[in-house]
Parts: sequence; C-alpha cells; structure tokens
Amino acid sequence: MKLKYSLITRRQFLNTLFGGSLIAFFSGTLFSLFKFAFPTLDKEPDFVVLDKNEFAAIPPNSTKVFAWGSVLGLFLKRADGTVAAYKGVCTHMECNIAYRPEEQKFYCACHQGWFNDQGINIEGPPPKPLEHFEILEKGEKIIIARKGAKVDLAKV
Amino acid sequence: MIWLKFKNWLEERYDFAELKKLAKSKLVPRHRYDFLYYTGGITLFLFILQFITGMVLAFYYIPHVDYAYESIIDIVTKINLGWFFRSFHHWGAQLCIVFVFIHLFGTLLVKSYRKPREFIWVSGFILLVISIFFGLSGYLMLWDERAFAAVRVATGGAGNLPVVGWFIKIFLRGGTEVTGDTLIRFYAFHVSILPVLSLLLIGLHVLLVQYHGMSVPVSVENKQKTGEPFFPNVFYKDMMIWLVVLGVVVTLAVLLPPEIGIKADPLAPPPEGIKPEWYFLFMLETLKLFPGTIYGFNGETIAIICVTIGIIFFFLIPFLDRKSNRGQKSRLFTIIAVIYLIYFLTMTLIGFFS
Repeated sequence: MKLKYSLITRRQFLNTLFGGSLIAFFSGTLFSLFKFAFPTLDKEPDFVVLDKNEFAAIPPNSTKVFAWGSVLGLFLKRADGTVAAYKGVCTHMECNIAYRPEEQKFYCACHQGWFNDQGINIEGPPPKPLEHFEILEKGEKIIIARKGAKVDLAKV
Repeated sequence: MIWLKFKNWLEERYDFAELKKLAKSKLVPRHRYDFLYYTGGITLFLFILQFITGMVLAFYYIPHVDYAYESIIDIVTKINLGWFFRSFHHWGAQLCIVFVFIHLFGTLLVKSYRKPREFIWVSGFILLVISIFFGLSGYLMLWDERAFAAVRVATGGAGNLPVVGWFIKIFLRGGTEVTGDTLIRFYAFHVSILPVLSLLLIGLHVLLVQYHGMSVPVSVENKQKTGEPFFPNVFYKDMMIWLVVLGVVVTLAVLLPPEIGIKADPLAPPPEGIKPEWYFLFMLETLKLFPGTIYGFNGETIAIICVTIGIIFFFLIPFLDRKSNRGQKSRLFTIIAVIYLIYFLTMTLIGFFS
C-alpha cells in the first residue's frame, strides 16, 4: 500500500526498518567481538636503566645484550673504545642481529643483511640503518633512551 | 539376531535402500587424467589423520611461553608413544601441504575450476590458505629458535602490506612483538578457529563436488570410457590408496622423527642458515629478488604487493578464464598455470638448496 504523497510503500518502510535493525545488531556484535580479539598494546619503553659496572667494562670490539622492552637491545663498545646502543632488530624482517667482532659489523642470519659498527645498512636487503639509542650516565647507572625521549634523570 | 532386529528397526525409520541406490548409481568418469580425482581424497584423509593426532597431542601440550618447549620434550621422551604421535603429526602436516598443492595444480591444469564449479575453487583456495596458516601456527607451538624467527618474519612480512598491514600484524602477534601472547593466539588459531573453519569448508567443498559431479577435462570429453561406479569400485580404490598413504606417513614418522631446535630466546640471534618450512621458500626467494629500496620506495612493500597481486590473480583465474567457461580449450591459461607451477617449483628448489 502506498499513500498518495509517500515516496515508499509501507512494506518498503517496514523492510528497511527490519533489515536496518538486523544490520545494526550484527555489526555491533561483530565490532565488539573484534574489539575484544584485538590486543591492547604495550608501549615501547622510552628508556631502560642498566648497571654501569656490567656494561661499561666490556672489552673493546664486543657487545652486550640488554632487554629493550620485549625485544633485543645491543650495547656496543667499538674497537676504538667509543660506545653506542642499538635496537638489535634487523630493519628488513625484524630478525635479531648479532655482532661479528672479526668484521666489526652486525649480521642478520635470516636474509644475510649487514650493518657497520655505526649501525648503517651496508649490504644485503635491509632498507634502513639500525635504530640508534642515546646513552646517558648517572652515577652507577647507564640510561639507554630512545632518541628524542625526555628522561628525567632525577627520577632514575 | 539382535543385529537383524536393530537393522529392521533402523530401516523402518530411514530409507537405506534409497541411499544404497544413490551410492551405486554415482558414476566416476574414466579418462586419461582420472588419477587426479584421487588427490582430493588423499588430502581429505590426511586432514582426518591430522585431526585425530592433533586431538591426542592436545592432552599433553601446554600453550605457555615457559612450558611449551618443555612439554614437547616431555611428549617425546616421557609419554607413551609420544615420539610417534608427534612425529606422525609433523609428517602428516608435511604431506597434507604437498597434496594440497598437487590437488591445486592438478585442478588448475585440467581446468576443473571452470563454470559451474567456481565455488569449489574458491572454497579450495580458502582451504589452501587455512592449511598454510595451520602449518605456520603449528610450527610456532615448538617455541624453538627457528619457529620464533619464522613467525617474526612471516607476521612482519604481512605488516609490510599497505594500509591493513599494521592491523594484521598486531592482530596476529597479539601485540607489537612476537611474545608469549603470540604463542597463545596461534594455539587458539591452531586448535579451535582453523579446525572449525576447515571442517565447515571441507564439508561445503565435498558437498559441492557431489552436487556438480566430477569435472571432465575439455580435451577428453569425447574420449571417455563408460564411468565406473563409485561404490564399490572407486570406493575400494580410495581405501587402498589411503592405506598406502597411511603407510607412508607411519614410515616417515618412525624413520625420520623431526628435530627440536634450541628453545626460543627473544634476545638471541637466529642460527646461521635459518630457513622457514619448505612451503614458504618460494616466498622467501621472491623477496630476495627485490632490492632494499626501489626509486625511494621500500623494496619490501613493493615485493609484498607484487606477491599479493600474483596470489589474487591466481585466485581469480576461474573468473578470468572465459574460454574454458564456454567449454573451449584455453591455451593461454594452460600456459599461465604452467608458469605458476614452474615458478613455484624452481623457487622452492632454489630456496631448498641455497
């Protein structure tokens, strides 16, 4: 049945109402299910605090592992005695890298990628340099901080 | 006597004679390529074996980052016949993927996907994706070095997809990194989500095959012999082949038990010469072809997009191959199928021997 000045029939109106409420119901259900299935995310740390005695004392041309949140961090003492800290994750496919003292380079075994001791990608598939951290010192502690992160040294 | 009574009781309620007639009247075509009909059955049988062995393994496996690796060591060293069922499940999975691929390329080459069987192809394609995800998620259960690196690379690779990549990666990993949360998530996929989905799809796939009947390749449509009754002729042949397949899986499981690597350590580098499972090798070798950056764009993203386009084209073949939909020979798509097959085989072999 259609009223004289109506654009749609009563049947169309009821079908739209019914169909619309079904769509609303199922999309709401699916959305909440999906929202639950999607994990809440841990933030990557702004900085980590390490023991200076443990890390500063490593021999030249070697690395020591530290935990950067849940991923690998590498504290490097280069052959010339300078130090640096990198995220130990290859920029290609996120495999962990390892330092090769005999070549003074970082190596990724997954797809044969190489980084020099400045963290620059020099060979193989990696598209970017390693993520480079800043190193701060306070008393007996070393603070490894993300570039640009604000570290309140008084609170460490 | 009691059996006869029970039989009568059942037959009063259900029309078995009709079912028997149906099974006998179902004819399976006979021609040069009819051996391909058995590949689907073998795949089905291997899936059944995986379901059964997976169920018993779930009695002992602990899906927790601190115990997963140890529980597998326990399964193979302390549990009665644990070594056998773990090895069986491993080899069953390998053969499952092998026969999924044989069944797939067989279907592709004789063009069984053509009208009106497009949905059989679609459901089969989704089952292929599920099988591979079954393999990847099952592999992570070991929680050894190789599994850890493989899952990191595979989920990271998905993360290279534009727009949706990040979303998929976080969803699969259960966080930004591969952690114990990823293990639990993959366990849920492996033992609850994927089995239910695959059961539904296998049901649909087999039902559609019954509905449409067996496809006969265009080239032999006029050279068929009279069909063979499904029951008992083809049925018994199926059973014989399944028995051989069972024998092969048992032999492999007994003679070549799979090794378990060193327990995964998120802070340790992966071992030298690490390789994923063989069915990911073609992907890995493809990624190696692309340089790190192409005209300022990330090479990985471009590689992943190219692979994705290749896979989507493959999926759409039944809808693009107009000629065989009209029941004509379609040389172009035979060539395309052969190119896909050769590419897959060579890249897998290069990956295997490099």
